[in-house]
Amino acid sequence: MEVITQNAVYFVVVLVIMVALFAWAYATKRVQKDFSTMTWVLIPVAIAINLTIGQIVLTLKLPVYLDSIGTVLVGVICGPWAGALTGALSNIIAGIILDPGWFPWFPVAAAIGATAGVMANIGFFKSWWKVAVTGFVIAVVATIVGTPISIAVFGGISASGSSIITAFLLETGKSLLAAVLTTNFIAEPTDKIATSLLAFAIIDGLSSRYLARFPRGENAAIEKGQQRIQLIIALVVVVLLVLFAIFILPRITGS
Amino acid sequence: MSLNRSFFVPTQSFFHSRNPLTKLTFVFTMIALAFFTLPWMAPALILPIFVMGFIGKVQKQYLNVIAKLILPTITFMFIMQSVFLPDGPTILFSIWRFDVSLETVRSAFLTVSRIFVMISSFTLLLLTTHPSELMSDLTRRGLPGQFAYVIISTLQILPQMQAKAQTIINAQRSRGLDTQSSFIRRAGSLIPLVGPLVFGSLVEVEERAIAIEARGFTSTHAKTSLHDVPDTSVDKAIRWLLVALVIFTLILKLWPS
Repeated sequence: MEVITQNAVYFVVVLVIMVALFAWAYATKRVQKDFSTMTWVLIPVAIAINLTIGQIVLTLKLPVYLDSIGTVLVGVICGPWAGALTGALSNIIAGIILDPGWFPWFPVAAAIGATAGVMANIGFFKSWWKVAVTGFVIAVVATIVGTPISIAVFGGISASGSSIITAFLLETGKSLLAAVLTTNFIAEPTDKIATSLLAFAIIDGLSSRYLARFPRGENAAIEKGQQRIQLIIALVVVVLLVLFAIFILPRITGS
Repeated sequence: MSLNRSFFVPTQSFFHSRNPLTKLTFVFTMIALAFFTLPWMAPALILPIFVMGFIGKVQKQYLNVIAKLILPTITFMFIMQSVFLPDGPTILFSIWRFDVSLETVRSAFLTVSRIFVMISSFTLLLLTTHPSELMSDLTRRGLPGQFAYVIISTLQILPQMQAKAQTIINAQRSRGLDTQSSFIRRAGSLIPLVGPLVFGSLVEVEERAIAIEARGFTSTHAKTSLHDVPDTSVDKAIRWLLVALVIFTLILKLWPS
């Protein structure tokens, strides 16, 4: 019970920091610049991409979620604020039409979009290995934001498949916080790196005339040279990561 | 799972005709009570939500959602948490090498009933309120119109996109794409499915931006609404009552310490 209250406090702190950052950015007019009409029109399409691909991946029974490709896409080409908004609204809409259990996770989705935007702003969305690094950073942020929610709202063990790992770690004598953190840290990087690389592949397929119409289109300018090779490498890395998730993870976490 | 399913049930009832903000306040009051001010009351809070379901004449759909969506999830969570969370001193019984203690069962029951309160009160809101009604009311109260645009237009785009995805899946299957067999083939089939879908929808963005810009989307003038959402004095009274209840329980919680 103690650990749950403590994590509720962490959760509130994270939420307050996010709201304060947004208020600061709004007051200093950093936000308005990124929200052109193109951004507002892209956001619903990105949310639809999130949910539709999430559903396709679910029907293909792959061990990843890939439900934030659109969020990362908006974060990169429209800036962190737009990415955060896309993530948050994406979870709210999933709550409206799929399952109200999506609502509590909206800070995680917002953090994913914001992180993607920040990483793209400092130039880490221009070649395949930089995108993989971005994916890893997104996973770390998602773990930090998601763990308190997981513990405070769902008591640490929810109905998702990765809860089996948490249960196993708890039986080995780890504390609840450590167990949930470890679980997220095992499950997130694969998913988020694959998500970022797929978003990268999508951006690579868009024309530069089209990208230039978005507020931060220049973030996505791929470094000179072998674009095709980079795309192939990116896709190969995705496949390897998915294979890693399938074959290696059960061995690490299984008995 | 189909994406074009909305929870909304169109009927006439006392609960339906309340202002959307009133219903939203009810949802957040229930969550605040269950999570922050009166956590030990969480199991009892299920009762007022049930009563509201009956007042809103959506009990059938409500129980349906509970049985299909909420109960399986929380039952699984309850069992997992009772067995695996670190044990307290009072051991009730042991299965193989797992101990179930009174303290874990208690804390698992509390967590599960809080989640039940949260999800089922949101379900009630969605069953009795059409999303566009909620959005037009919130826009009238000062929410930027762009937010309403994003939510409503996503709800319209999703079924179209779902249909498009189905068309693409069928088309690729008829060309021999494998979506059922071994894992590597399924992972490989992701690209020919997702590619056309994503690029097809992104291309439409530019045209849509020009279209809504031509209709004064970014205009700062006050916009009138075609659809009027009534807000009676009963609604206002209920809202203040609910806010007062939250504040009262908060004081009650903070008082002794």
